[in-house]
Amino acid sequence: MLTNFIVALVERILNTSLKLDSTLIDKLEPVSHKRLLIDIRDWQQQFLLVFTEQHLHLYSTNEKQFDCMISGDIDTLIALKNPAMLTQLIRQDKLDLQGDLNIAQGFSNAFSAMDIDWPEHFSRYLGDAPAQQLWQIMQNAKRQGLVTDKKVAATLTQLCQDELKVTIHPLELDQFKQQTRQLKGQVAQLEQRINQLLQLH
Amino acid sequence: MNENQEKTTHFGYKTVAETEKASMVADVFHSVAAKYDVMNDLMSFGIHRLWKRQTIASSGVRKGHHVLDLAGGTGDLTAKFSQLVGDTGQVVLGDINSSMLKVGREKLHNLGLVSNIDYVQMNAEALPFPDNSFDLITIAFGLRNVTDKDKALRSMYRILKPGGRLLVLEFSKPEHEVLSKAYDFYSFNLLPKMGELVANDSESYKYLAESIRMHPDQDTLKSMMEDAGFEQTTYQNLTGGIVALHRGFKY
Ligand SMILES: C[S@@+](CC[C@H](N)C(=O)[O-])C[C@H]1O[C@@H](n2cnc3c(N)ncnc32)[C@H](O)[C@@H]1O
Repeated sequence: MLTNFIVALVERILNTSLKLDSTLIDKLEPVSHKRLLIDIRDWQQQFLLVFTEQHLHLYSTNEKQFDCMISGDIDTLIALKNPAMLTQLIRQDKLDLQGDLNIAQGFSNAFSAMDIDWPEHFSRYLGDAPAQQLWQIMQNAKRQGLVTDKKVAATLTQLCQDELKVTIHPLELDQFKQQTRQLKGQVAQLEQRINQLLQLH
Repeated sequence: MNENQEKTTHFGYKTVAETEKASMVADVFHSVAAKYDVMNDLMSFGIHRLWKRQTIASSGVRKGHHVLDLAGGTGDLTAKFSQLVGDTGQVVLGDINSSMLKVGREKLHNLGLVSNIDYVQMNAEALPFPDNSFDLITIAFGLRNVTDKDKALRSMYRILKPGGRLLVLEFSKPEHEVLSKAYDFYSFNLLPKMGELVANDSESYKYLAESIRMHPDQDTLKSMMEDAGFEQTTYQNLTGGIVALHRGFKY
């Protein structure tokens, strides 16, 4: 579920960037409705990326259906920023590509044109300190390999205790607390009434 | 058993005549329709969005598909499906309740989603479509409200295309005792109270809490799906089993 949460956040940030730069939509048009499956081997995670008319959809999934699949360790996938590496990586068995390669190419073209300040975005949704922390962890994870759900879970729990703002707005929490207090008061009253009744009998 | 005795079913914890349940369920959703989305976010702390994302991630949906979002209510899943199936696909938002459909239609309209969505009032037990019509059927937080669940599952099986799949997202049985207790307290004490304060309707939310408890657990639902004809039936627990996502195929 926590992977899901982060994926949802990343999807939202991608779509925000999409809205800011309309040329991106034209760039993505050729891969519209094509399913790109990204298999990050050392994370043991698969992500499905689809662009539809105005939106990018990103899901963590176990589905095996795709129009193009790209599979490799995270470092390898990042190395793809330099397209000249492609054949070499495939020959070294570090990278596996299946299906219509134009799709991977299309996404890659659009994304290289995107200039996203990830830490900035994360801090908008999460608050500054947790965002920094999360970013740090993702950087470390990239170095150490394997991002387990557990590790992410532990960190996020910690973050939640600090100042995570996404799950529930402070105002809502206040309201909720107030309501619980009211409820407690009512239960106490009820208890008193019951006690009175018991005494009468 | 007395042959003449009226057939009964559960309405939350109350036992009511089977013929009455549908209209009582309808009352519940008529009364919550307007505040449904707000309450959903508040009651689940927004987690229902992640549960729904998981449903879409497991759907295999793609351009050109025909999708039925059954008991679709205010159309959260329909909104995503509409984008993913594109102009060559079709999504039907089906619900028994006209108020929920109305709120759903307005919401999706405001999101600019119009071209490929149909809104159809229907009962899950007798789906008004020919055999082999859909690539995907989802029913999210809807099955527990249906009176004859077996009949509904058979009906869904009938209208799925061969190769199509059914996804059932529904409250289920938490895996751990502690979670189960905490959750009980939350849903029986706090949830109706929140319902009263926000939607001014504690009875409806009491019904929701009770109906969740009466719903079959993971393995029972899995075998019900198998009895209806589904194959390769599996389930995935979400948030410790508070919710489960069941999946089955028709071949
Ligand atoms: C809790 S809502 C879920 C709405 C939506 N799927 C979601 O997840 O937000 C349950 C919906 O099931 C509908 N419903 C109840 N019984 C039904 C039946 N027999 N056939 C079709 N829909 C039904 C209700 O009207 C209501 O809109």
